[in-house]
Amino acid sequence: MLISKNWLSEHMDLSGNSDEEIAGKLTMIGLEVDEIIHRGSDFRHFSVGYIKEVSAHPNADKLRLCMVDLGDDIVQIVCGAPNVAAGQFVPVARPGAVIPRDMPDGSKLIIKKSKLRGEVSNGMICSEAELELGQDHSGIMVLGHQLADSIHSSDSSEAVFSLKPGLPLTSVVGSTADTVFDIALTPNRPDAASHLGVARDLGAALDVSVTHGYIEPQGSEGSDGSDGSENSKVAANNRSNGIAIQISDTQKCTRYVAVSIEGVTIKPSPDWLKHRLESIGLRSVNNVVDVTNYILHDIGQPLHAFDLDQVRGSAIHVQSFDKKVSFTTLDGVERDVPADTLFICDDEGPVAIAGVMGGENSEVTNQTSRILIESAWFAPSAVRRAAKSLSLQTDSSYRFERGIDPAMQAKAALKAAEMIQELAGGVISESYTDLIVSPFEIKEVDLRPARVNQILGTDLSSAEIQQILNRLNIKTVVDRKDQQREEGYIHCEIPSYRPDIEREIDLIEEVGRIYDYNKIPSPEMSVFVDSSPLPEWERFVERMRDTAVRLGFREIAGNSLLSRKEASAWLDSNLLIDTLNPVSHETTTLRPTLAAGFLRNASFNVNRRNRSNRFFEIGSIFQKATEDKPGKWIPSVLERTSMLLGISGIRSEETWNSSETPFTLFDIKSDFMAFLQQTGLSDSVSEVVLSPRELQYHMGPHEIARLTSPAPEVLSEFGLEKSPTYFIEIDLTVLFDTKKVTRDVRFKKIPKFPSFEFDAAFIVNQEVRAGEMVETIRTCELPSLKNIQVFDLYEGDSIGKGKKSVAFRLTFLDPLKTMNINDVEPSVKTIETALMQKYQAKLRSE
Amino acid sequence: MIDRIHALRSEIEQYTIEYEDQLEQFRLEYLSRNGKIQSMFKEMGTVAPDERAQVGKLMNETKNLAQARFQEAKDLLDQQVADSFSTLEDISLPVQPSANGTLHPLSIVQREIKQIFYRLGFTIAHGPELEDDFHNFTALNFPPDHPARDMQDTFFVRKSNSEADLVLRTHTSPVQIRLLKEHKPPVRAIMPGRVFRNESVTAKSYFQFHQVEGLYVDKHVTMAALIDTLIKFVKMMYGKDVKYQVRPSFFPFTEPSIEMDIWWDHKDGGRWLEILGAGMVDPNVLQAVNIDPEEYRGFAFGMGVDRIALLRYGMDDIRTLYENDTRFLEQFH
Repeated sequence: MLISKNWLSEHMDLSGNSDEEIAGKLTMIGLEVDEIIHRGSDFRHFSVGYIKEVSAHPNADKLRLCMVDLGDDIVQIVCGAPNVAAGQFVPVARPGAVIPRDMPDGSKLIIKKSKLRGEVSNGMICSEAELELGQDHSGIMVLGHQLADSIHSSDSSEAVFSLKPGLPLTSVVGSTADTVFDIALTPNRPDAASHLGVARDLGAALDVSVTHGYIEPQGSEGSDGSDGSENSKVAANNRSNGIAIQISDTQKCTRYVAVSIEGVTIKPSPDWLKHRLESIGLRSVNNVVDVTNYILHDIGQPLHAFDLDQVRGSAIHVQSFDKKVSFTTLDGVERDVPADTLFICDDEGPVAIAGVMGGENSEVTNQTSRILIESAWFAPSAVRRAAKSLSLQTDSSYRFERGIDPAMQAKAALKAAEMIQELAGGVISESYTDLIVSPFEIKEVDLRPARVNQILGTDLSSAEIQQILNRLNIKTVVDRKDQQREEGYIHCEIPSYRPDIEREIDLIEEVGRIYDYNKIPSPEMSVFVDSSPLPEWERFVERMRDTAVRLGFREIAGNSLLSRKEASAWLDSNLLIDTLNPVSHETTTLRPTLAAGFLRNASFNVNRRNRSNRFFEIGSIFQKATEDKPGKWIPSVLERTSMLLGISGIRSEETWNSSETPFTLFDIKSDFMAFLQQTGLSDSVSEVVLSPRELQYHMGPHEIARLTSPAPEVLSEFGLEKSPTYFIEIDLTVLFDTKKVTRDVRFKKIPKFPSFEFDAAFIVNQEVRAGEMVETIRTCELPSLKNIQVFDLYEGDSIGKGKKSVAFRLTFLDPLKTMNINDVEPSVKTIETALMQKYQAKLRSE
Repeated sequence: MIDRIHALRSEIEQYTIEYEDQLEQFRLEYLSRNGKIQSMFKEMGTVAPDERAQVGKLMNETKNLAQARFQEAKDLLDQQVADSFSTLEDISLPVQPSANGTLHPLSIVQREIKQIFYRLGFTIAHGPELEDDFHNFTALNFPPDHPARDMQDTFFVRKSNSEADLVLRTHTSPVQIRLLKEHKPPVRAIMPGRVFRNESVTAKSYFQFHQVEGLYVDKHVTMAALIDTLIKFVKMMYGKDVKYQVRPSFFPFTEPSIEMDIWWDHKDGGRWLEILGAGMVDPNVLQAVNIDPEEYRGFAFGMGVDRIALLRYGMDDIRTLYENDTRFLEQFH
């Protein structure tokens, strides 16, 4: 929202404050200034010059040499304007002057003494356009009688100048310099969505009084204390020049003021009004529309001007329809307006979408001579819904949505009527309509001074608090009866323009805001000691993260959302969870696995010639919960924390001591074994072969991890067919719930006696899995057997077709003695028997 | 004879031994049975008796000299052999580094933030990323028609305009509600995690990002304590000399609400950068979890981790964080 300093100055004296001070103060009271924009010029280094003589430029046909009297000096200036002539008073930019109009590239032209085609030029004679004093850029500006229409209307009557060479230009055209503050307004502050609103808040902060020319007509209720009843020219009733007002949807409109003006002349606005609107980025339309926009930005009351001759019939109806309505707004767009939207209608149909935009059918045009000014209060939710459904946010809807001052309607309408009469002529109708469905009530909120200090940590007295509140136009009374109570109450009357203040806490915020939070003294901060350790889950997850880093994996952060197609490759589509409103079809579905993200990242890297990828991720994965197993947080959702370790590409590049080594499945398996060691789980996890490409790891009855060698089709989908890729996904939620992972380390005595290794090879059928044989050996539960390693695999005719030999190195250890062959023989026998029974394995004798 | 011995001596002293064959040559010439020294010893018989002792001494010295020269040269040559190497034994051959593990910058920054708040006496809590409307909006005092409840701002998974609607949480604040439902005050915890907004992917916006939320509810919590805590945090995070300011703001779930800015030096002068939002927990929020706002008060704050990471590492495109290019990841050691 743009706020002009010059405009603010109509309401308060800011002469003692620099732009930076004002911006800083606004920010500190919650009206955050994003940017300070300097507009116009104070015409420093610009003077009135008198052209004494004009002669031809010796080296250029289109340029002329002017001898210009600048009062203190007569200088030569080169000028290219066709209308330059001796005897003119002209605006001269002298060296150092900054030309107000931007150069085509957006930069500023700074005047220097220079040479043009060999001739010295001591400045520049300017056009209206260059000075941003008008549109004319056909030639230089000639100062003279036309200045009567000066840029300040107030000056115009006394615009009699005696032009003299060397006068500062400002003494003739005034200063156009302005500072515009771009304020990021929070949604709770509709009261500050206008110049008066900002002035009120700034006035409270600076303790500067704020004035405005809006007066309450006779018979109406005022809320901010101004009472202009004597000055009101027209009387309230429910008819405005023969037009009756009917509010049928009284939920959405509680007040409607209408004033009509007859015999207006539509024409361009005067310069001062144009400049006001242009300073905050608005385009001037005509004198009537400009007045309504001026009032909106001055006090925050949206107004609408109808062409009364286009209003059919003799009544205005404020109503909604129970079906969709097609309506063309004044921007020429035909819109399908949903049912239940509030309209302003004449006897035949809609003429405006209430609070959002008027209709083309009743727009003010150059032919308009009778107008009706609407100044209403529409319910914020109704306007918000309408604007949202139409995707049409206007300056008007912006304010209605947030809640405008319910006491401003009549004042704004009358002020607008007076301004229009002044700028467009015509006669304000004898009577105006002010239809109030339900009068607003002044809010009263009680405040305990002790509570203010409890919340803010301040030590403010009741008087100091009241002083701050009074500066915000909040009337305060300390009731005698209340004073007798242990803690005094301050009884507060809230101004009508502050819908956000409803509770004691809201008033406390007002006190803190104006007092300045930065001034709150630092407390002697009580040390907060929490003797409980960090939650186990946090320690567990961070330990997993550290483990992966220790194993040489790089952490990645993937997307939580996948395309449905991508997601359905990993989980039954019926169990996937979709968002109803995805940003793109790439991100529709909550990830059921970290695998898809890993493959995508692996592919991204392989495409960028990053060939050795060891990645891990820890993150949430999602699927629908089944009835027998509801989710922990949301019953219908199974949200788990997952961890993925993945490798893709090559383990090592080709170097002098090794050829290029691609990753194999056994690399990721080996990483997982290290992971189990790091987490102390080696002994509690068992392996099951699910398919030739998948291994499942169990802890008791729970699956805790699954190792995958993705199928070639999957890899080629990700462009990874040439990059061997494997991953294991670990369910941290389940792993944590089994409570087996602890940080408890109990020291075990280091064995005093050496271990004994025994090698035994068994011949089995090809299809027997080595892992199952290891599992079988393990289930023999031999206490001295410490490690089982497969150290050799052999197949060949010598042991028979369809057979293979699996050689195990069995490591035995007895903590009490050095073992020898006789000690391990019974164990080996047990193993042999077990393997023979289960797989018909035969011990291979050399 | 004595002259010949002296000549032999200087001959031995000046003999060049640089290669293995020269060493052998030297041995043959002087130290072998038929070498010059032995030959001279054989002539001892011809020496006059009164000179014999002197000549004998000189001869022995010469023999020792020759032997010393031989040993010295041999050691040197042996050393040279030891210093030589085969092609594959060249220890200067370059190698590739072993596999390195690294944390993602978002984890690094989150850990840093956690460590600071642990020092300030906060514990930690977690909640789900897929939330219901009650925890994400209603209990946090969002009015029913608040813009954040629009489909254009928030990802919905189920929407029927009830408290059971499901959303991808738009902030970590719902964890406050879960925490206060489970634990009686005093409660003092931070709540980090991933959050979502329905935004398209650009250099400045992404549909997911990370926040760290903080909450302290007790009997005597004040705005002054909040600001003091935040000042301690920014000093620990950005250095003791960090310049900061606090200004009013607005959030539905805090009242009063503030934002904190730090001064960010920049080559064209620097500017205030908003780094966190905070405030006193709104009485409505405490009531939503059955805590009496007259008895208890609280403060809460929240900050964006992605933004802090971008600032800290001087990055300008948020997408870099989620592309996971190895050449990016390896920079964070």
